[in-house]
Amino acid sequence: MRDIWDDERLLAALKEALEADEAVPPEFIELGKNAYAWHNIDAELAQLTYDSSREPQAGLSLRAEAASIRALTFTSAHLTIELEVSEDSVLGQVIPAQPGVVEIQGREGTTAAIEADDVGCFLIRPIPDSPFRLRFRTADGSDILTGSITL
Amino acid sequence: MRDDSSVSALVARAQAGDQPAWNELVERYAPLVWSICNRYRLSRPDIDDIGQTVWLLLVEQLGNIRQPAALPGWLATTTQRECLRVLKAASRYDSVGSSVDSQVLRDQSTPVIEQEVIAAELHAELRTAFANLPARCRQLLSMLLSDPPHSYAEISATVPIAIGSIGPQRARCLEKLRRSPALAALSDLEVEGGEVSGARASETGGARA
Repeated sequence: MRDIWDDERLLAALKEALEADEAVPPEFIELGKNAYAWHNIDAELAQLTYDSSREPQAGLSLRAEAASIRALTFTSAHLTIELEVSEDSVLGQVIPAQPGVVEIQGREGTTAAIEADDVGCFLIRPIPDSPFRLRFRTADGSDILTGSITL
Repeated sequence: MRDDSSVSALVARAQAGDQPAWNELVERYAPLVWSICNRYRLSRPDIDDIGQTVWLLLVEQLGNIRQPAALPGWLATTTQRECLRVLKAASRYDSVGSSVDSQVLRDQSTPVIEQEVIAAELHAELRTAFANLPARCRQLLSMLLSDPPHSYAEISATVPIAIGSIGPQRARCLEKLRRSPALAALSDLEVEGGEVSGARASETGGARA
């Protein structure tokens, strides 16, 4: 490198490097730093594995529930969370069925916490109007965080 | 990819629960994640979301990292995958789906990612080396790099430094930069075409809507 890079090229490369860094908004970096809060919280990430709005038309017409406008499924290694979105609410179901607490996590942190009943059902109303994640926790230590949801 | 002892150390400390080490990793690689997101025509909330998801996935995988040198490559491919996931969801509502498809195909090419990873590593090492320069050197080089450029008279008055010394001092500072351990380790990366090509590619490819 010592031989290949003359002063002008080194200075140009340094300029690029510093500009690439300055282009990143501070809030974007903050989100990354804050993610570390999940270290040691043994939460499993549940990824989106089904979204009716991404399926071909046939998928929609097969659904019997006329009131449901969108269905989402999040799957982690041990749990599945199914969501049915209707006009003004989100009906959730944890599988296997079990009680627990569902937290709605907006960008700024937890905005609400609701109970999942004995069969793992919970109702979110109204529908959050900004992107959120759901965190589901049980008394025996299960801790699941879904991918981000925008409805 | 080469081993990078400083990244290895940061990863080890982050694995052990050290938030400052994690913060350094985020600061080091956020420009890489950001530049990849900006290749796609995504909204700022989508980009924030993708960034958050990528870092959450890294937190989850932190304990499984065996080769810290592979981290930037992992971040790049994970970021791209999340971008494509969001794009795919959006394209359903997008009447110009075909243009999105061709863009996706073009951007999926592995060489682009590899170039970006190499450029990101180079940039990160340059920033580390720069941060370790004496304050006077940092100030002088910053003023020389500013856009629009400062005149020698302004630089002379601010640093302060005699106008006749700016040239020699600039050369000395750049030599310090060149000799810093962070950059010396990169000598083998700087060959292909002799250009920081990944950065250029990401700039031209990153047309924003």
